Amino acid sequence: MLKQAWQRWLDRRLPRARQVQLDQRRIFIFPTGYGFLYLLVSVLLFFGGINYENNLILGLCFLMVSLFLVAILHTFRNLSGLSLRAGASRSGFVGGQGSVEVVLIAQRRPHRALWLRWLDQPAQEISVEPGEESALWLNLPLSRRGRTRPPRLRVESRYPLGLLRSWSLVSLDQVCLAWPRPQESQDCPADGGDRERQVASAGQSGSEEFQGLRGYVPGDSLAQVDWKGYARGRGLNVKLFEEPASGRLWLRYDRLEGLPVERRLSILCFWVQRLSRENRPFALALPGAELPPGQGEEQRLRALNLLARHGDTEAH
Amino acid sequence: MARIYQIPSHARGWLTLAIVAASLPQLWGGPLWQAGLLAVVLGWRALMDRQRLILPGRILRLVLLVTTVAATFYSFGRLHGPEAGTALITSLFALKYLELVSKRDAYVLIVLGYFVCATILLFHRGPAMALYVIGCLILLTASLAGINYSDTHARRRQHLSVAAVMVLQALPLAIALFVLVPRIAPLWNMQLDSGQARTGMSDSMSPGQVSRLTESSELAFRVQFEGEPPPPRERYWRGLTYSYFDGTTWRQASPPGWDREQLFYGGRGPSPDWYRVLINAAGDRTGYRYRVIMEPSRQRWLYALAVPFTDFDGNALARDFRLVADGPVNGAFSYSVRSVDVTGAVPALGDAERRLMLDLPEQGNAEARALAQRWRQRHRDDRALVDAALRYFREQPFFYTLEPPRIAGDTVDQFLFGTRQGFCEHYASSFTFLMRAAGIPARVVAGYQGGEMNAGDYLQVRQYDAHAWAEVWLPGQGWVQVDPTAAVAPERVELGLRGAFENAADGAGGDFDGLNRLPVLFQLQQWADYVDFNWQKWVLGYRQQSQRDLLERLLGAVTPLRVGLALLTVVLVFSAVLGVLVLSRRRDTPASPLEREFARLHRALAQRGLRAPATVSAAQLEAAVTRRWPSAAGAAGHWRRLFEHLAYRDQGSPGAADLAALRRRRRAVLASLASPRRAK
Repeated sequence: MLKQAWQRWLDRRLPRARQVQLDQRRIFIFPTGYGFLYLLVSVLLFFGGINYENNLILGLCFLMVSLFLVAILHTFRNLSGLSLRAGASRSGFVGGQGSVEVVLIAQRRPHRALWLRWLDQPAQEISVEPGEESALWLNLPLSRRGRTRPPRLRVESRYPLGLLRSWSLVSLDQVCLAWPRPQESQDCPADGGDRERQVASAGQSGSEEFQGLRGYVPGDSLAQVDWKGYARGRGLNVKLFEEPASGRLWLRYDRLEGLPVERRLSILCFWVQRLSRENRPFALALPGAELPPGQGEEQRLRALNLLARHGDTEAH
Repeated sequence: MARIYQIPSHARGWLTLAIVAASLPQLWGGPLWQAGLLAVVLGWRALMDRQRLILPGRILRLVLLVTTVAATFYSFGRLHGPEAGTALITSLFALKYLELVSKRDAYVLIVLGYFVCATILLFHRGPAMALYVIGCLILLTASLAGINYSDTHARRRQHLSVAAVMVLQALPLAIALFVLVPRIAPLWNMQLDSGQARTGMSDSMSPGQVSRLTESSELAFRVQFEGEPPPPRERYWRGLTYSYFDGTTWRQASPPGWDREQLFYGGRGPSPDWYRVLINAAGDRTGYRYRVIMEPSRQRWLYALAVPFTDFDGNALARDFRLVADGPVNGAFSYSVRSVDVTGAVPALGDAERRLMLDLPEQGNAEARALAQRWRQRHRDDRALVDAALRYFREQPFFYTLEPPRIAGDTVDQFLFGTRQGFCEHYASSFTFLMRAAGIPARVVAGYQGGEMNAGDYLQVRQYDAHAWAEVWLPGQGWVQVDPTAAVAPERVELGLRGAFENAADGAGGDFDGLNRLPVLFQLQQWADYVDFNWQKWVLGYRQQSQRDLLERLLGAVTPLRVGLALLTVVLVFSAVLGVLVLSRRRDTPASPLEREFARLHRALAQRGLRAPATVSAAQLEAAVTRRWPSAAGAAGHWRRLFEHLAYRDQGSPGAADLAALRRRRRAVLASLASPRRAK
């Protein structure tokens, strides 16, 4: 209840944005444990000065207290004016980690010993000198398929004296895609154009289209090297496959009828991964979205992203 | 076992320096083993940081700790008390440094550092030491800044400048707090019983005691008068009265059976009769108004001119017209006095008191008693008898000397009829004896006489101004001050002790080399004392009463509300001003010396009508100059080449010589702009 109210208040005060500049509305400040200890020492010195009737000890106490007040301003200044911009992001599989890039921009003053972290992750420290930009990659655990928004980023600093902690909870408009977790399946939910086809397993994959071998040329995919033959001393050769009738395999969502949505996507994901590993061209057909045939890393990422976005209402 | 040093190396230097600086004052006066301990710790630590040695194991550290505690106990005889405590905390400070590994250790060390700084101020209260402690605080703050900036690229000096700037920014508020935060009375009694012997008066007087004080030029107290001070011969600073004589020694005494209330009045409760008589006699006469700033004397006696009235701020008035502090004067202590001459209107002498003031030992000093009897027979009037006694001192061959011959046994007889060389206590003692023997109530008064004006502002009274004189009770007049020394050596009272012996060039005063100072040195000493006086008065002596006075002048009236509001205002104004200062854009403009050089040329050209955009490059600026002033092309090219060389070379930021060269080329550019105009 209280937590929700706090979140709502934060959302109003610090709305999600591509770039955020920290200012007094966005910076919180509070003494650290050491700060309280420091104040306690000042209080003890005060009583010492009173009891020994020693004005110099009282003076030392007052100097320490006003140093604390000055430290408030300096600790605040260390965050104030810092801009954070949403950078690139790296996707990952559900259950794994993605990461997002946060760019810190110091405009007119240095921002030193900043700690950035979210959730329970260990903080990363960074300093930015005036006029500089520094980027930091932060890992983000992915638990649900689809577009994952990072939680509020905690930007914290205790510089210069460690007496106070100033922090801000920044919400950058940043998305990390969580691909479905690959799930192994024997049957490839694919057809080659108009003709249905079964691809049983990697060893025999595309055996029907197997055409023969040719000599290895640097640049060929290692997945296609005929390792067994190489072991038998036939030299380094690459297996050649014939393009299917219509040229590609069509991985189809519809072919996995009767299974829950996430499971279907996981199976498709598994095959995308496997076909890519074998450097075989494929196409992907999901309800409402299609990926034209292609092959290679680019194709794999496109397919995975498409799978991740499946059912996303606010897709781009 | 791998140890992770969380203290960045660029911070460790400051931490070491802070530890050494904060420990030094204690090591200076403390036992030698403390300095040894710190040296061992520093050495070990230095080797550890170079991976030559490992951190001592737990057992060794425990042994070190126990040894340190034992050594402290051995050196001081105890572990509590300010001196032993200070020594202990300083040693622990060093030991903690040995096992410094984590950030938390550093924090503990720095907290200990604040306490060590405070203990410095417990024993050293001069302005120089206060500055020194501020320096230590800056070093501790620099260490804090260092450990909170774990970037390996951080530069050492950066921490110090951050710390210095912050401490300087904190100073104004600290001063305001010092002035405004109400001083409250000690919550519990913590006496600085340092056992340090102080020169000064004692509670008894025997021959030779006061003259020993004259060897010391230590300051006893200072006096600041409102208005004209009294002439030197009237500056009798009364401190104690001695009423009991055992044949050799005079002691303080009060009539048997009298309690505190009859002897002292501290401003609380109903005033006793004698006080009412005195205050009525004083009326609203001004007399002399002044403030006395005591040096620590470890005694309760305060010094004032007769008859002193105070506001009872930490002191009480005694029945024998002297002021007594509520506790021993261990630190800065000052009090305001109004001294009024109330001769003639004093409380009557009671029987018990009269008996005490006439009391003499049963036997001894027969010759003196006989002399007193002869005077008594000749003079029925007490006043005449007193004059006869003074005439006796003046006319007989008595000498005033700092080094009187030793006497024992019937000291009065031996002095009066034997040696006849004495210091003030001999004269005061024998005079009082004679008066009592003649039936006139009398007592010895001890204190200081004279004092030296410094800068026409305040009076310095030093230990060598110590003096003893007498008071006799005359019917109708009350206690009357009589100084037999003045009869023998009037210059002592007129010119002070130094004057007296400088005048008497016959060497009777022994050697006074310590006092005959060079004029320049003397002047310097006077200035130093002037600084010290104001430090004593405004910093050390700023207590409840002086705070009330000052705040009354500043705020009109001292009410909790007003003081609270003033405090709040000061804090808010301070924060606002500093906030603007710290957060303003202008101060934050990052500018390397090179960028500033560029900006200077840019500005200078703008003043001459060349408006270039702020983001212009050096080459563009050169081109713009060449277009407008073709004559300056050469100079501008020169400037640009050096600027680019300095800006883009690999050897880091340019040094002072490089910048000077660039500055010369900038001036050359500007000069070549001006010359064609002049030619026209």
